[in-house]
Amino acid sequence: MIRFIVRRLLETIPVLLIILTATFFMIRFVPGGPFTAEKAVTPEVLRNLEKTYHLDQPLWRQYTHYLGDVLRGDLGPSFKYPNRTVNEIIADKLPVSLELGLLSLIVALGIGLPLGVFAAVKRNSWIDYVCSSVAMLGICVPTFVLGPLLVLFFAIHLGWFNASGWYGPLDRVLPSLTLGCVYAAYIARLTRGGMLEVLSQDYVRTARAKGASGFRVIWRHALRGGLLPVVSFLGPAIAGILTGSFVIETIFQVPGLGREFVNSAFNRDYTLVLGTVILYAALIIALNFAVDVAQVWLNPKLKFE
Amino acid sequence: MSGWRNKIFRTVALLFLALLTISGCTKQESSKNAVAPGPRIVRLSQINEPADLDPAKAALPDEFFIIRALSEGLITSAPDGTPRAAAAERWEVSADGLVYTFHLRTDRSWSNGEPVTAADFVASYQRLLTPATAAPKASLFYAVKKARAFVSGTETDFSAVGFRAVDSHTLVVTLERPTPSFLAYVASGPWIPTNPRVVARHGIKWTRPENFVGNGPFTLVEWRPNQRIVVRRNPRYPSAAHVHLDEIHFLAFDNRDTEERAYRAGQVDVTMAVAINRLEAYARERPAELHSAPLAETRYLTFNTQHPPLNDVRVRRALALAIDREKIVTKVLQGGQEAAFRFVPRTLRGNEKPGAPTAWTLKYDADEARRLLAAAGFPEGRGFPHLELVGWANTPVLEAVQAMWKKELGIVVTLAKREAKVHIAALRAGQYEIAFVTEIPDVADALQVLAEFVTGASGNHPHWSDAAYDALIARAVAADDLNQQTALLVQAEQRFIDAAPVAPLYFNAKNWLMRTSVRGWQEDELWSRHYQDLYLDEK
Repeated sequence: MIRFIVRRLLETIPVLLIILTATFFMIRFVPGGPFTAEKAVTPEVLRNLEKTYHLDQPLWRQYTHYLGDVLRGDLGPSFKYPNRTVNEIIADKLPVSLELGLLSLIVALGIGLPLGVFAAVKRNSWIDYVCSSVAMLGICVPTFVLGPLLVLFFAIHLGWFNASGWYGPLDRVLPSLTLGCVYAAYIARLTRGGMLEVLSQDYVRTARAKGASGFRVIWRHALRGGLLPVVSFLGPAIAGILTGSFVIETIFQVPGLGREFVNSAFNRDYTLVLGTVILYAALIIALNFAVDVAQVWLNPKLKFE
Repeated sequence: MSGWRNKIFRTVALLFLALLTISGCTKQESSKNAVAPGPRIVRLSQINEPADLDPAKAALPDEFFIIRALSEGLITSAPDGTPRAAAAERWEVSADGLVYTFHLRTDRSWSNGEPVTAADFVASYQRLLTPATAAPKASLFYAVKKARAFVSGTETDFSAVGFRAVDSHTLVVTLERPTPSFLAYVASGPWIPTNPRVVARHGIKWTRPENFVGNGPFTLVEWRPNQRIVVRRNPRYPSAAHVHLDEIHFLAFDNRDTEERAYRAGQVDVTMAVAINRLEAYARERPAELHSAPLAETRYLTFNTQHPPLNDVRVRRALALAIDREKIVTKVLQGGQEAAFRFVPRTLRGNEKPGAPTAWTLKYDADEARRLLAAAGFPEGRGFPHLELVGWANTPVLEAVQAMWKKELGIVVTLAKREAKVHIAALRAGQYEIAFVTEIPDVADALQVLAEFVTGASGNHPHWSDAAYDALIARAVAADDLNQQTALLVQAEQRFIDAAPVAPLYFNAKNWLMRTSVRGWQEDELWSRHYQDLYLDEK
């Protein structure tokens, strides 16, 4: 177990280094720089700007300089927002993305799991059809359709919520519902599939034969195995919820990190691009690791190694 | 089974009815709430998150929307473009036009109580021009003696630069050469002062709400990036009694649709824009809330004059004349835009004599266009190469141009879209054939706009070079009389339009939504805002 963890952690270092290096050079080769604007700055101003941000130095020196800063935990100043550092921007916005992600995950699991279990238990009944249709609908309707529809009905027509913004607890409802619903749909379908497979297993029949109640059979015996596909899905899904919330953050004007991740590339905010990429890379690696551990715990057939 | 279904159907229908009933009640309640007395707050939409609220670091009009609420410069410009007293109550110009003396108001103080002095202005300008500050808009100071040399580092002694505080309330500015439009520059955003002591104490963090000190009608109380910026009435501002609002909230929006939904939900009072496809609906349903105003913004096509056959003036003129601009503004855009038959927007032509020449402008003339194209060797468009028309956004305007060229000249262009910075980089590098561009002047100075097209200038997207044009602009720069300068600029523009390195399409307009309770809104054609007269009519 410990050997497994140590090995995985050591593997992380070169992966992160490759991602950082590739991103560093790729973003530099994109046409247009951080100071490219409709109104060109005069040559002497451009020189001053480049000197301030060390862009006048050779690329390899900028790279080693940046690498040194990152090792010290300093992701540098933002090019776009002169009075903020990348560390500050991440510290400011990551919690928002995490909160949105967590709430969406609760929505996704809270809707998806029961829907999937019901559909599997009442297989081929109308309950199954309703649950499966709802799940299919959730997969088909993209967030940029569902979000504005929810806003139209609940914010503009009913006036229950704000149409956008991230001020009070009520402002969390529509964004997490929108983001959660899509994942709920996937989870419902995966749960149904996993449960169907498990429910036909011998040990479930044995449990039934021993007189266990229907609820107990599902809760104690079937669910643990039935959730395996969901768990493998959750690792990348959580990363997706955290990184891919750009659309939701734009629709609802949520000040999260997802939008910085995308907009920093448009702004050629080199340091912010690198900062968010490193953070998300580390996040995805960590989540995949967590999924591996969870799978071993859920499935006795698997072992660490 | 069918009984079950009936029950479910009935339950759903009942739930839906219940929701509708509740919605009716809530709507009434919320309209009641709106009348309740409270602080007078106007909520403005802010589409671009400000990079900084430091006048030395800001570059976009959007940033100065907020900065102008927090601080004021020596002068501002009235909606008609004339200079209006602000921190300076009056000013004089020496007979040779080289020395401007500004007399500051004696009753003005910073929001921390310190008096605003002429030395503060000098220190602000010194900081802005210092190379290490890397102020993006430092070029708006280049009319001042030695300012450009100081920015480029060839002059390191600031006392040689033309700023001098004679006493605590008299600021003398000496110019490099007589500059007839100098006051337009003084009214621009980067000339707004910063408190040198506060900047020295907090460094780059001085624009945080906890540190911010300004000399304007409002003070900064909250700045949550990408959420909102709240400014509150500054009690130390001497005309505070004339400031009618308690707070202005600048609400951030990344997306126009999100902005519109927030307006409809009652969260915003003034939007930045209305999408083209919504104009008709709002004009029909809420005409009192839909507003339109012209902008000093020229949208034009640039032809890469280094790229054959666009190096032939006849081809360029043919392309420029075959565009029916009236049709573009009345049938395609429909938002109050004005067809552009020349390059310099109306606001920047204030000094031209009425009845200025129109014979050289770009009137729609398809016959002449066909004749020119045939003379260039492409009768009815035969043999004309397949060119690409590239823009940075999807706009029906380019499709209209494409169709007009096809119909009138028989030539085919393909439309392409590039990401904004890639587009600009390609324009600078000359890696395009025909491109759609927008020109938004920093200040109301026609010279600045036309000087971008002299040989080798960074804004010279057509990579066009004309010795006579360069000479005219050089003479306009050297002119010390406004009328003389204007006459030279008209001559230069005439030459420019005749040579057609660009084809102006239209002068842009702004369309926005504003609640009927918001009164006294002031924003000029160069996006400069004035909040003192803004108030809420709560009746």
